[in-house]
Amino acid sequence: MADQTSHGIGGLTYDKSKRAWPNEANVFIALVLIILAFEALGQILPYMNSQSMLFDFNTNRDGTILNVARIKIVILQVSIIGIISLGVTQVIISGGIDLSSGPLVGAAAMIVMSFGQTELVNGQINPKAVFGPWAFDLPVIVPILAGLSFGALIGCVNGSLIAFTRIPPFIATLGMFLICRGISQWWTKGQPVSFPTEQFAAIGSGMMPVVWFALLAVLLFFIMKFTVYGKHTYAIGSNEDAARMSGINVKRHKVLVYMIASMLAAFAAIVLSSKNLTAQAGMGQFYELYAIAMAVIGGVSLTGGRGSIVGTVLGAMVFGVIQSGFTFIKLDAFYQLMAMGTIIIGAVVLDQYRQQRSMAG
Amino acid sequence: MKKTIIAAGLASLLSTTAIAENIGVSMALFDDNFLTVLRNGIEEEANGMDGIDVQIEDAQNDVARQLDQINNFIASGVDAIIVNPVDTSATQAMTDAASSAGVPLVFVNRQPVNVDTLPDNQAFVASNEIESGTLETFEICKMLRAQGFGGGARAYVMMGELSNQAAVQRTKDIEDVLGMDMCNFIEVIDQQTANWSREQANSLMTNWLASGEDFHAVIANNDEMALGAIQAMKAAGLDMADVVVGGVDATQDALAAMQAGDLDVTVFQNAGGQGSGALNAAIALANGEEVDQKVYIPFELVTPANIGDYLSQN
Repeated sequence: MADQTSHGIGGLTYDKSKRAWPNEANVFIALVLIILAFEALGQILPYMNSQSMLFDFNTNRDGTILNVARIKIVILQVSIIGIISLGVTQVIISGGIDLSSGPLVGAAAMIVMSFGQTELVNGQINPKAVFGPWAFDLPVIVPILAGLSFGALIGCVNGSLIAFTRIPPFIATLGMFLICRGISQWWTKGQPVSFPTEQFAAIGSGMMPVVWFALLAVLLFFIMKFTVYGKHTYAIGSNEDAARMSGINVKRHKVLVYMIASMLAAFAAIVLSSKNLTAQAGMGQFYELYAIAMAVIGGVSLTGGRGSIVGTVLGAMVFGVIQSGFTFIKLDAFYQLMAMGTIIIGAVVLDQYRQQRSMAG
Repeated sequence: MKKTIIAAGLASLLSTTAIAENIGVSMALFDDNFLTVLRNGIEEEANGMDGIDVQIEDAQNDVARQLDQINNFIASGVDAIIVNPVDTSATQAMTDAASSAGVPLVFVNRQPVNVDTLPDNQAFVASNEIESGTLETFEICKMLRAQGFGGGARAYVMMGELSNQAAVQRTKDIEDVLGMDMCNFIEVIDQQTANWSREQANSLMTNWLASGEDFHAVIANNDEMALGAIQAMKAAGLDMADVVVGGVDATQDALAAMQAGDLDVTVFQNAGGQGSGALNAAIALANGEEVDQKVYIPFELVTPANIGDYLSQN
């Protein structure tokens, strides 16, 4: 078991001689290469005046040779989707998929912010109040619990549909995708919900999204690596029948997997609405796809059973670097999506190629 | 006896349909703040009238779905249709569908590509998009001048969704104003899209701040992005008195930011006015009255000086 693992399919086995480093190392190398590419562009492109993306040798604005502001935003801008991608990672490892997380963010944000509103805005009554005076200035735990319970409910429905009615996860969560977007629009008939209490605004202010992302990543890392829950998730994703026969309660486990994913997405909604001081029905658009892309770039296999939280975190970093890099080199907005798509596909193609080579023994 | 009851019932049904006018409305999408105010403008105007029933549908930003909705409205025999087009270049088919059925049609908010060839029983109600970006940018230009930057100022430009007509037009307005002699002292450092979103604008602004460039103004295509930029600048410790920030829409959130001294300029587009204007045009057309084919509801500049007039508007 030390040299051979059963994670492959069709008798393909892990060959240590051909695969000297873990999968995550690939992602890390890709990350470094992308950073180097942007640094090179900063030197080469004539209009860039030899600027560096992550370093700051000349002006020394932050008191170090690093461009601390840039490094912060690289992580900050992917933290919220990163939180979702942690949950999506364990869903994909279990052999499923969750398309509902983006709209769930929108719906949860609307619900959460409705319970997190403050009474007075510049001395006047909150012009965006959803409920009556009773809902003003509630303790911060109320919106948090409202959001997490909503997430748990949605995840429970997703998981139960998949486990008990046996409809494919793609379809179940696609239906939930539409339902959640509907809920987010219906909640206030499309009106934004704004002006939170100070306590609520503190949840996502400054670098707090990064703190939450880091804490949750560490937590999920331990859960997936060292607990029975994690081992069962990998087992179900690798071979569901074998997992069932070895005594794992597959149905119950799947419900749990989707509940955790949706609660993480709901938590992302709490952080997102707090950071932006507003909730809007259109929030979270494409988040489900970006979260899946982060996991896949991080080496999580869509066929299930393979991947890790470390990989997903690195995948999120790749996203952050690309996004900041585009702004750094002032890439015209019209080319950004094309470049982003190309990089996503390229990263996965390279990973597939390496895996096939290492398993072809 | 039975027959008389049925006949009476039919007669009453007929008479109510004869009195009540049914207006079908197809909105480009529901989860857009501005379009929600517009939609509410239609509904409130209709609620204030007798015998007007409006049925509002969400095209979910899907051109094909919108055309289906229009055909469904025609099939169910509405008296007039209001369309807030998803795609302004796909409006000819809608015009054709309505005119061949003889149903009056009013386009609202977004200018259809065939606006100059609309048949007599069709009209277009909106604000003239050229005004918004121009008012915003010109005011920013005047403010920068007044603050003594007439010798040279630098600005960032935040664009809305690149496929959206308003974003394209407002960005062009910015370029046009900055090309004028009076305002050409302003240099644009970079212009990027933040897709109308506060979250994306926050990230974009933070990225710009990381490059450490000196700048004096942020010109955004809408208020949400202006607010995202403000949040990023405040998080980085900038004094908002040193930066001129402008948006468009005069949302409640934006007005609150203006009261707090963070936002300097916004432009009020009378969404409710467009909604009620569209409904009135549709009713007039349904009754066979003459209507101007282009009804423009003016944009209005909002600054700290006149903010009081707008606090209860949106």
